[in-house]
Amino acid sequence: MSQAHALSLVGLTKRYGSFTAVNDVSLDVAQGQFLTLLGPSGSGKTTILMAIAGFVAPSAGAILLDGREITPLPPEKRDFGMVFQGYALFPHMTVAENLAFPLRVRGMERAERDTKIRATLDLVQLSQFAERRPSQLSGGQQQRVALARALVFEPNLLLLDEPLSALDKKLRAELQDELKTLHRRIGRTFINVTHDQEEAMSLSDTVAILNHGKLIQIGAPDALYDRPRTRFVAGFLGKSNMISGRIAERIGATARVSVGATTLTQRLATGATGDTVLLSLRPERIALLGDGETAENMVEGHVSAWSYLGAGHSLTVETTDLGSLRLTLPTWRAPFAPAEGLTLRLGWPSDAAAPVEDDGDE
Amino acid sequence: MTGGYGPGPFARTLAWMAVIYLVLPITIVIPVSFTDQRFLSLPRDGLSLRHYENLITSAPWLSAIGQSAMIAVVSTLLAVIAGTLCAIGCWRIGNRTTEWLRALMLLPLIIPSIVYAVGLYRYFGALDLLGTFLGVVLAHGVTGIPYVVITVSAALSSFDPRLEQAARGMGASLSQTLRWVILPRIAPGIASGAIFAFIHSWDELVMVLFIASRSIVTLPRKIWDGINENADPTMAVVAVLLIVLTLSLLLLDGALRKRRDA
Repeated sequence: MSQAHALSLVGLTKRYGSFTAVNDVSLDVAQGQFLTLLGPSGSGKTTILMAIAGFVAPSAGAILLDGREITPLPPEKRDFGMVFQGYALFPHMTVAENLAFPLRVRGMERAERDTKIRATLDLVQLSQFAERRPSQLSGGQQQRVALARALVFEPNLLLLDEPLSALDKKLRAELQDELKTLHRRIGRTFINVTHDQEEAMSLSDTVAILNHGKLIQIGAPDALYDRPRTRFVAGFLGKSNMISGRIAERIGATARVSVGATTLTQRLATGATGDTVLLSLRPERIALLGDGETAENMVEGHVSAWSYLGAGHSLTVETTDLGSLRLTLPTWRAPFAPAEGLTLRLGWPSDAAAPVEDDGDE
Repeated sequence: MTGGYGPGPFARTLAWMAVIYLVLPITIVIPVSFTDQRFLSLPRDGLSLRHYENLITSAPWLSAIGQSAMIAVVSTLLAVIAGTLCAIGCWRIGNRTTEWLRALMLLPLIIPSIVYAVGLYRYFGALDLLGTFLGVVLAHGVTGIPYVVITVSAALSSFDPRLEQAARGMGASLSQTLRWVILPRIAPGIASGAIFAFIHSWDELVMVLFIASRSIVTLPRKIWDGINENADPTMAVVAVLLIVLTLSLLLLDGALRKRRDA
């Protein structure tokens, strides 16, 4: 099982009347990749998945499978496996009959069918549930049946529409791991849709971030997290402090950025003196400075809010020029019991923050 | 609702009166069917099965039962096929036009059947369908469609459209999806519709009086004629049989619904 396929979207657009649900989206999914389309509700991610599956006809653009155009093909001709939101298992069939469905449709002999069904149920560890009906299974088991049914006919691609959204948090984490292992084992191309950024980052090789029907940024999860291209990406993938300033001076690859009366040292590839810049600074990149410690950037402020998160503390520190900064500290590194009004010195290196484009979206 | 306050004596009395008012005229035929008299009356000297015997040995009555059953079966088939296809079509297209169409399909239920019968009489005459088996089957079949449209539409409204998408996504053609996914899911609705369409044809009299002339004699028609000609207690026997059949069909429908909801 390793015939992985590549998929490309070229200028995909879907309009409903005057509303543009998907606006000129182009992207490539390489063979065997796990791509996640991530975005808030209404970002067009599900419409893109439905267009790939063939349930939504694009208004413009093309969908290519291994370079061959499949845009006009109806869903039943595309040979894609799909895990639906809410699973869409056939309630009047047993687990085995659900898995047999795509094979029966293809006219496969019973003996061959049974072999395939058994192998796939083994793959998702559900062999002992073959004769149960979906209503007799737990949510996690139903999810695995849906996955097995989507994989049993060895589809070209596996499409997942918010596959884990109906499960509770603990089960979700478990199934995330399973899904990842499964992807590695069978080596097929997976395309997943979710609004959960943690799920997207932990599952995928590549994440495509969408907003208002547009592709905002695509890349590996760590690249997106560390180097968000826009304010929206920075805010959507985890938390971020936004600092708006003006370039006061350039020194090679770094710049002096003035924010009110404070001047920051920031690694900056582009931008000339006088330009405004927006910086995204992750809460965990800010360090607490002890007496005598220094950093490239240093500010002072007092704690206005804090919360204990078990593994760490989350603090909000009010500063004069940078506004309120949020930072997270691992519990073992917090040398004090946080309290409101406590004055702290914060520091971060010149490459901690990332310059982002201001797209007006939080 | 359990654990609430019970009804007061007034409400209780009223409810029972309503029940008796509804049920008494139906149950009165049961003792009448066991009468030992030669005319339609309550038993006087004892119970007798002579009219039951008369029914199963009387060629005209048996022929009426046979014709009624035949007409009911064929017209039910017609109503089920047309009604199911209409309901599925409206459901799949699902726009304003189909909403209107669905309302239009209910017309035979809303319009008084005598109006319908007059209309049928006019144009069945031109089509040479008066007094034919086909004519009665068409009339009963078409007026049975609303029952099927209603029950199948109800079944479809609880059908998850993603099941259809899932089937199509796995490569199933439209007809495979229909046979293996949609029809099994809405089968209880179809069965309910079939039962109602059958009952509708089984006890329909007005249209038969208009369009069947003398050659087609259904069971209700035979009872009607009997009342007018001689008050033969065999009619009470037939009435009991009609009640038993209708009740058992309704119980069957109830059982099917229970199974679907389980």
